Amino acid sequence: MRQSEDRVQLNSQEQLFLGLAEQMSQPLVQIARLAELGGSDDAATAAMRWQTIQAITQSSLQLVESYALSLRVQGKVTPLELEPVTVSSLLYDTAEALQPFARQYGVDIQLDQLPRLQPIMADRRVLQSAMTSLGQVFVLSQAEADEPSSVHLSAHRNRYGVVAGLYGCSAQLGTDSLRRAHALQGRARQPLQRLVSGSAAGVFVADSLLRTLAAHLHVARYRSLTGLATTLQPSQQLQLI
Amino acid sequence: MHVLLIEPDKLQADAYAEALQRDGHTVARAVSAQVAVQQADEKMPDVVVLELQLPGHNGVEFLYEFRSYHEWLHIPVVVHTFVPLRELAQAATLAKELGVVRTLYKPVTNLAALCAAVRVVAPVVERAV
Repeated sequence: MRQSEDRVQLNSQEQLFLGLAEQMSQPLVQIARLAELGGSDDAATAAMRWQTIQAITQSSLQLVESYALSLRVQGKVTPLELEPVTVSSLLYDTAEALQPFARQYGVDIQLDQLPRLQPIMADRRVLQSAMTSLGQVFVLSQAEADEPSSVHLSAHRNRYGVVAGLYGCSAQLGTDSLRRAHALQGRARQPLQRLVSGSAAGVFVADSLLRTLAAHLHVARYRSLTGLATTLQPSQQLQLI
Repeated sequence: MHVLLIEPDKLQADAYAEALQRDGHTVARAVSAQVAVQQADEKMPDVVVLELQLPGHNGVEFLYEFRSYHEWLHIPVVVHTFVPLRELAQAATLAKELGVVRTLYKPVTNLAALCAAVRVVAPVVERAV
């Protein structure tokens, strides 16, 4: 479909930069178009548009900050600050952070009833950034569905550790999102990917951040939902506290 | 004119629909190729505004299906997309075989330009009728 020779000549880092630049142009276009409409608004409509612009700006800044954080941590410019983290409180904060953005797209954020889970040792800021970046992708993906539905944040325990993830109704949410992120990273090549809508950079950033914590994203199923999750190791020492 | 706006991003679709309505058009919105075909079936559009990057079937696939129906063969299509057209191998096919009358690159196309493009295709609609 797309003449891909130009991308073949780009190394994976350049491909990623290009992908991020292309993705960042989306919110900028949204803001530019909303600003164009704003000229003749009454006060109530202007206030609504202002909220939308704020939500778009916040989510875009969050993505850029998360990417910068992943590079800083990978390059050891910023050291990891490990601390005991309760997964349920982390997901609660993620849900709170995603609410304003999701509201603009008519998508519900649902924090599932979380079981009591052991704390894990992690850098809370890194983990939170990863989950929020991922959450934005899920909100956008759900908003593109014919019937926008909800994004579920959930955690449970299995024999490998604590599985924290985001889930939605679309079966393609997990596999397609991860494939697009890998394609952005240069690990896979899809001839038609250029014309497939959806955000890959957020998944890539989330995966990069999780890798600094020796974890990674994987496709997960939870109840009847599909999504992406990471398995985190509970601290054996913290279990004794 | 009745415009079928195929745009997966809700916030962008809101903005484009509002601008087109202010310009005097009625707008039907679709987030995917499948919904677009249903919308066109319910009420035949005079113009289609199409983003090529769609969930599921992409915009080019939509166009092939859309043009396979006799009654939709001459409906002009304005492609309004984030895909730089020079990067598409089928850019020529889009214009010649699939009836794309204008291609607009979103980052450099403001609302006025989009409305102007839709207005420009009006004579094409009249000729087809």
